[in-house]
Amino acid sequence: MAGQEGQVSTGMKIAIGIGSFIVAAAYFTFLDWFAMDIQGLDYFYLFRK
Amino acid sequence: MATLTKQARKKIWAFGALGVFTGLLLLPLFLSFPTGASGEAPAPAATTAPPAAQPADAKPVEKARDIWFKTEGPVVGAPAPKTTDGPRDYPRYNFESRVLLWVANQQHLYYGSFVLAVPIFCMIIEYLGIITKDKALARKYDQLAYDFVKISLTAYSLTAILGGILVFTYLTLYPTFFGYLSSIFRPVMHTYALLFVAESGTLYVYYYGWDKMREGFLKWVHVSMAVILNVIGTVLMMLANSWIAFMQSPAGVDAEGRYLGNIWHVIHTTLWNPINLHRLLGNMAFGGGVVAAYAAYRFLTAKTDEERAHYDWMGYVAMFIGVCFLIPLPFAGYWLMREVYAYRQQMGITLMGGLLAWLFIIQAVMIGALFLTTNYYLWQGMERMRGAERYQKYIKYMVFVLITCFIVWLTPHTMVMSPAELKAMGGQQHPVLGNYGVMSAKNGAINTIITTTVLSFIMYQRANKIPTVKWAPLGNAFLFGLFTMAYVNIIWLAIYGYYIPANVRVGLSVPQVASTLSCLFIGVTLNSIMLSGAKDTGPIVWGQISVRSQYALIMLATAFTWMMGLMGYIRSSVRLFWHVNEIMRDNSPWAFTHTIGFAANMISFNVLFFWLTILFVFWLGSLGVKKAPVPAPIGQKVPVPASSH
Repeated sequence: MAGQEGQVSTGMKIAIGIGSFIVAAAYFTFLDWFAMDIQGLDYFYLFRK
Repeated sequence: MATLTKQARKKIWAFGALGVFTGLLLLPLFLSFPTGASGEAPAPAATTAPPAAQPADAKPVEKARDIWFKTEGPVVGAPAPKTTDGPRDYPRYNFESRVLLWVANQQHLYYGSFVLAVPIFCMIIEYLGIITKDKALARKYDQLAYDFVKISLTAYSLTAILGGILVFTYLTLYPTFFGYLSSIFRPVMHTYALLFVAESGTLYVYYYGWDKMREGFLKWVHVSMAVILNVIGTVLMMLANSWIAFMQSPAGVDAEGRYLGNIWHVIHTTLWNPINLHRLLGNMAFGGGVVAAYAAYRFLTAKTDEERAHYDWMGYVAMFIGVCFLIPLPFAGYWLMREVYAYRQQMGITLMGGLLAWLFIIQAVMIGALFLTTNYYLWQGMERMRGAERYQKYIKYMVFVLITCFIVWLTPHTMVMSPAELKAMGGQQHPVLGNYGVMSAKNGAINTIITTTVLSFIMYQRANKIPTVKWAPLGNAFLFGLFTMAYVNIIWLAIYGYYIPANVRVGLSVPQVASTLSCLFIGVTLNSIMLSGAKDTGPIVWGQISVRSQYALIMLATAFTWMMGLMGYIRSSVRLFWHVNEIMRDNSPWAFTHTIGFAANMISFNVLFFWLTILFVFWLGSLGVKKAPVPAPIGQKVPVPASSH
């Protein structure tokens, strides 16, 4: 892994890190909405109230 | 040519055997389903003859409404008997009949679970042996699968004996109830018996044909036989489940308990499928635990490093398979409970918020202990690998997360208190800790525990490996992002649940579970792909693991066994004073719920009894193990063994 890490610049590492967080956050938000929607429930209930 | 003919003959025999077993599997379905459970001719509900053709004095067919499916059907069975306390309905010894039945039932269930689970293991491991390219490892897998089935063979006989004892206990102590149940389930019981014959036949051919079918195409036929064996075993389990599901949530009968001619309705009650899934997963986890404990025992008593290495590996494989089924088990349990609530809300409240709620707290402790032990074993297992040290520093944080969640997970909603204690606390719920006794908090806790267990497994997977794929930094970042956001999401949903009404809150468990499963499937898959062609920092040194890890395996197995006994008792006792819920009342003197202490003692007795007898089974199995060959004096001929096992 050390060899691999050596090939990636710090800026790239930060960009990859932020990108992965954004992808994961989008995925889980979609998952929450979808899993509630298929049950006929409103995921954003509190915010729409 | 002669060899070819022999091969062809073998193939014909193998196909013939497969055909017979498949036929045996399907035969009972053809035999049973067209006829009603009453044993009489099907009622003329849909006669094709015109009404005028019927004799004038023909008795009109009485119709009634299904208690669950609400469909109309012809009454073809007698009403559920109304029992009275006496020798006719409840003959007895000078002892509580229910306790005798409890022991007989539980022991049969333990062994039944074991012999259903172990062939599934065999099938998986034998298949792994076939597809593994490494010849030495393939042989190891094959030998392991053979060892597993050998253990289950002895246990199989005991299961049958215990089944006989159970039926006799029912017949002699609860004849009226058993008579009613068998009048409803007559075709199912016969199907069950026929399938048992098919299962026995397949198991024996599977075991004794191991050597004859060890190469090439025949090996595939052999593993196909394992598939058939497991299909039969699973159908057997599902049929037995239909009896208990009927007792808890009857269907296919009217309000008086009269059978309405549709056997599928009787089998397919509302709780049948949740129970099927829960039991299947539970059996697998239990079977893995028992085999792991066996391996741990053999590890602890091993005399040589080779033996230690073999049993360490065996324990790991069994534990791994067991845990694979343990992880989805709480979700299956959640589905079952949800269906119980949907069926009868009061039944759900009795289970989780009333009379039996404290047993659920004990269950929570056991589940928490199971996951803690699993993590502990994985961390200990990392000792076998050089390079795993780099992950050691994270373990303390994982312990903190696990313990915190464990404490939340077992926090009771309400406490049994004296008036003075109630006053001192200011109500039934503690002002601070009471907030952790609700499902929002508990769902968050258990999902965090499971996600952490998945993380431990991923750490274990890569303990002695360094990914060499070009996209490793991206993969690592994605794994880190996935797990971090999964934790955030699970905890966010747990907190969110406090601010929305109960009917919306209950749905939050689904995205929570989905988050955990995402980590399991995406995380483990991504990690496995990243590790293909990875650089090894050292081999896995099987056998070089702490003794404590083996005690952890034994603890795992004991906890599984205890929890099975506990959950079986909870599920059964929720019927309270009913033999068949709301249909047939239990009028014996024992139609009351035992104290928690008594129930716990009974469960412990059953666990102890099972472990004593299974040790006997293991001992019997070890008698068959071949001794190391004695070196023959020089010049003397050595007899060639007939087979390698």
